[in-house]
Amino acid sequence: MAQNQRPKSLLDSLGEEIIRILTPVSICMLLVVLLVSILNSSSSLSVTSSIATIAYSETGSDSSWDKFIGALLNSLVFVAVVTVATFILVLFFYLKCSKFLKIYMGFSSFVVLGFMGGEIALFLIEEFSVPVDCITFLVLLFNFAVIGVLAVFMSKMPIIVTQGYLVLIGMLVAYWFTLLPEWTTWVLLVALALYDLAAVLLPVGPLRLLVELAMSRDEDIPALVYEARPVTHHDSASRPVQRRIWRERQNARLDSEDSSSLNSDLNSTVSIVQSSHNGARARVEEGQVSERDAELSAPLIDHRMDAQDGMSTESLMLEGMGLGSSGAIKLGLGDFIFYSVLVGRAAMYDFMTVYACYLAIVAGLGITLMLLALYQKALPALPVSIALGVLFYFLTRFLLEVFIVQCSLNLLMF
Amino acid sequence: MTVAAGIGYALVALGPSLSLFIAVISKKPFLILTLLSSTLVWLISLIILSGIWRAFLPLNSTTWWPFAILIFTSIAFQEGLRLLFWKVYKRLEDILDAFADRVSKPRLYLTDKMQIALAGGLGHGVAHAVFFCLSLLTPAFGPATYFVDRCSQIPFFLVSAIIALAFVTVHTFSMVIAFNGYAEGNKVDQLFVPSVHLAAGMMTLINFAYGGCIIGIPLLFLMAILTVMHCGRMVWRRLGENQRQFATTKTILSNPRLAAYYMRMFVMPIVVV
Repeated sequence: MAQNQRPKSLLDSLGEEIIRILTPVSICMLLVVLLVSILNSSSSLSVTSSIATIAYSETGSDSSWDKFIGALLNSLVFVAVVTVATFILVLFFYLKCSKFLKIYMGFSSFVVLGFMGGEIALFLIEEFSVPVDCITFLVLLFNFAVIGVLAVFMSKMPIIVTQGYLVLIGMLVAYWFTLLPEWTTWVLLVALALYDLAAVLLPVGPLRLLVELAMSRDEDIPALVYEARPVTHHDSASRPVQRRIWRERQNARLDSEDSSSLNSDLNSTVSIVQSSHNGARARVEEGQVSERDAELSAPLIDHRMDAQDGMSTESLMLEGMGLGSSGAIKLGLGDFIFYSVLVGRAAMYDFMTVYACYLAIVAGLGITLMLLALYQKALPALPVSIALGVLFYFLTRFLLEVFIVQCSLNLLMF
Repeated sequence: MTVAAGIGYALVALGPSLSLFIAVISKKPFLILTLLSSTLVWLISLIILSGIWRAFLPLNSTTWWPFAILIFTSIAFQEGLRLLFWKVYKRLEDILDAFADRVSKPRLYLTDKMQIALAGGLGHGVAHAVFFCLSLLTPAFGPATYFVDRCSQIPFFLVSAIIALAFVTVHTFSMVIAFNGYAEGNKVDQLFVPSVHLAAGMMTLINFAYGGCIIGIPLLFLMAILTVMHCGRMVWRRLGENQRQFATTKTILSNPRLAAYYMRMFVMPIVVV
């Protein structure tokens, strides 16, 4: 008898791109939480001095107000350094020194993977008493770092290797940031979220300048950017149809609902609706070489749909900043890093705050993606998530924990 | 007591939810998003409740009636939120149906709607287990364990994990019953859910007495089994009615693969728990 299979329902593929970007963010956060709980439970590590504590080193005996002022000074210094570095990056990009930037990115990735990865590996070896000798360790570490650099900058690697290494780089930098003193970390997160908001939305913001430069030149921004695996379509003839869709959409300036009727494939429609082109940029920040590496962060931005002529736009859509035709979402690595820093710092208090902050960050990311679909322009990915994360951390720590512990210890649950 | 014990407690509380997640929810991205949003909603309701009650805590742990009021208000608030959740879901369903028409895909099937309800309920259950059980499990990974005076036969972590398991079941399936009740306008189902939730919450008050957990916890599991059975009966009836409405009845009943599809997609996860 004939097989009567129902046609695939709407629910089978809706929201797949969001999940494909949520999964690596969650994995990065999970790895940082694991690292923090394994390495920090043993002994309290001494606070590393770095550019982020240049103004004030927190000690346990200062009063709350002193700590707050000190943290504020630290964050201001840090944000100032980041701003200067970003403007230098924009200058280099403007002068078309992209090669230099790429080499610098490669070098900084090598430093992160080699030195910071090595340091954390040493901590882990010490913690678990793994029997391994120096030479083997050095050889393995060197190979690991070199493949990481190649994976991140050569597009010929399997995408899973590239994605894995990007998540690892994010995890290593995030773990390093959690070693900062507590007040400094929180004020720094808020300050960076505000900076991100200003830099992407203000007309003089460096990130906005960079994005516009890259778009006007049809160039790729030199950046460490996580790119989700593009959603593959199971229907036939999807790719050529899509390109036509883009051009038609471009010329006719159709809004998302009309264009969806041209293509029966759900995924490309969703990608059109969700404004799939997200370019990204990197922000390189200088630090003292012996202590820190470059920190990279980028806003989650949308590629602008309107352009001067159809042809260049089409190539822009297809090759330029995003994966135009397949509609994959890109998220800058700095966002990974700061989400994980927030969750890692929450892990240093208790696991309840970890869960609350994780949910808050995921909610913030979802809201940012929805705003992206709505406004169709470059948007910073940090502010909403960090704001929600910090809010939920303090609410959980001061309100929820007492409530839950009171109920649970009396075995009263609802 | 060790890492193994800690993982064991976590799995006692969340094992069936994990298998439900892997079997049903991880296949469809939209359900994962539903689960995350319903977990968030439950967390927000919990934060609001703790904000309201913060001024009165810590309560004197010898009298039981302040706790009764606490549980009653919390459950009332959460049931009110469930109604709100339903209204939001109704609007979402309309948006999705309109979207499906535009891209010429079929509208939401009954099983799709039930799966969304299941994901929502599982979100609530997972949130309960995470915040009431898992977040307190951190000491269990260390070398020692902890006993409560009132229930001194088994470690505190195990008791909370078992209670969390019962509540996960209640939350998960009562959402399916509730959504179905609101959709059909069935008063019995609509009243069943809050009353089961309230009864389960009040039953944990029995744990207040010394050695009360020996009576309280089996009663709690009775509530959970009641919920599962009611849900199973309701789903079977709805699916049967749905099949009879369409001409594909004969094909479904005579086609073992399609019958297996229905079994797998919906009834099996209930049986698993």
